Amino acid sequence: MYAEFKHTLRRLRGQIIGWSIGLGVYSWLMVSLFDSIVNIEGFEELMASYPPELLSFFGDSMLAITTPVGYIDIYYFLYMPIIIGIFVVGVGANLLVGDEENGTLDLIMAYPVSRTALFWGRWLGFAAGTAVILFISWLSWVIPAGGVGLDLTWIEFMRPFLPLFAILLLFGGLALLLSFFLPSARMASMLAGGLLVANFLLDGLANANGDLKKITEYLPLHFHQGGDAITELNGEWLIGLLAASLAFAILAWLRFQRRDIRVGGEGSWQFALPWKK
Amino acid sequence: MSNDIALMVKGLTKSYGKVRALQGVNLQVQRGQIFGFLGPNGAGKTTTIRCLLDLIRPDGGMVQVLGINPQADPVTVRAQVGYLPGELSMEDNLKVEGQLRYYSDLRGNKIDWDYVRQLARQLDLDMRRSIKNLSKGNKQKVGVVQALMHRPKLLLMDEPTSGLDPLMQQEVYRLLKEARDDGATVFFSSHIISEVDALADRVAIIRQGVIVEEAEPQQLVSMALRRMQVRFKEAVDPTPLGDVAGVTLLSQSNGVVAYLQVEGEMDGLIKALAAFPVSDFEMERPSLEEIFLKYYKGQEGN
Repeated sequence: MYAEFKHTLRRLRGQIIGWSIGLGVYSWLMVSLFDSIVNIEGFEELMASYPPELLSFFGDSMLAITTPVGYIDIYYFLYMPIIIGIFVVGVGANLLVGDEENGTLDLIMAYPVSRTALFWGRWLGFAAGTAVILFISWLSWVIPAGGVGLDLTWIEFMRPFLPLFAILLLFGGLALLLSFFLPSARMASMLAGGLLVANFLLDGLANANGDLKKITEYLPLHFHQGGDAITELNGEWLIGLLAASLAFAILAWLRFQRRDIRVGGEGSWQFALPWKK
Repeated sequence: MSNDIALMVKGLTKSYGKVRALQGVNLQVQRGQIFGFLGPNGAGKTTTIRCLLDLIRPDGGMVQVLGINPQADPVTVRAQVGYLPGELSMEDNLKVEGQLRYYSDLRGNKIDWDYVRQLARQLDLDMRRSIKNLSKGNKQKVGVVQALMHRPKLLLMDEPTSGLDPLMQQEVYRLLKEARDDGATVFFSSHIISEVDALADRVAIIRQGVIVEEAEPQQLVSMALRRMQVRFKEAVDPTPLGDVAGVTLLSQSNGVVAYLQVEGEMDGLIKALAAFPVSDFEMERPSLEEIFLKYYKGQEGN
């Protein structure tokens, strides 16, 4: 398992470095702009003058943008599930099926590594890679924060990263699971990414439409606290998200155990459709 | 299962949707043997090999590799097997040595690197080159090295010389024979008859997912059709020769020369010829290629 864990991290090295630098620079920039933005005269009034539908889409944080919690939520945690979601959905869908499609899995599977070790070695590598990207982002918020009056402790900065990590694992796991059922990794990443974006949009619209809330309260992003976790982390929600992520990973692992390994190329539908004899 | 048997396959079946790739394959390979698995594309060679490694799960039948069921204990089987896939793909962004080190990691880093370097030298393979810059033949060399590098007890090779030039083909034959001489069993598939003829101690022919023949190459040749040209001292009517069991009169030339096809024992024909004034005869032994094609005539008809 360790060989596969190490190999997965090595293969993701370029992406991890790229995403870490990109998000790290962005976070650092946002921190350094904090005191400038909150000190803009009439900024809160400007925000309040936005159409109420727009304000409600972004939740309460829009009106609290001059506070550390509101600022961090609006400029980072609100949409990071979508941004880093691009990474996790792509990596999740290609974690094993990508190698199957390019033909390398056939030979790897002929080595003395069990399917379980191969699967969990790669999944842990993926989880560790995601954690590294978030860790660099966290550092980029924490280190310069004191100098601009963003008075939060490193633990307070850490808290909202936990549900973000869990939600990313969840959608990565979903993409991985879908890749075992859909004809290609490409389709799995498209579907998982589409579901993530749909959930994001529904979640925002539900702030303005009470009827939608009945649906969104069962969807994953409802349990993503974002910047609110800075003041109080909802442990039950976090455990629920982690459990759901693990459930997707376990379902994918069970499917991988029983799966024929293709020689290469994209596959066909894995379902035995009743009307196709 | 006897300790002398490296591979045993009984009634192996596998379908891909409507396509019945294997329809009851039976095979037995002795330890220390080079076993050739001959068949055209799509006959079921690769599917059989992939079932042996638990890469795909058969629908029915029994498989034992070195006395172990690969579905029950795939890791132990794979630890003792070296595999070369028919369609070899590796990670383009690695160098040859990096790729081999990754494979070594998967084997628990128990590889003798002096031996790896020796194999690379024998195959004229530069380990500092990037995989993405290698030709198909050079990639195949990496595949051969990774299959041999842990000195496996069993080598499963799907078309091992694919893409190699004739000199390197000979080198691979030599490596496989050396492995056999060191006690390993080699099971390789091919559709190149000359390769099987040159290398195999025993050969099986697979057609449409069924083994249609299994024998030593020379035995196959002797069991097969032969063609005979008989020259008579004077013009005769050779028609009665065509009535002998296993003999077909193909043609005749003015009653002086008869062209016959003989299948199986020669005894009946020799006795029948005693009644004719024979001046000379020539017999053509078929090549393994002709035998192979004979098995596939029926397939074309189907």
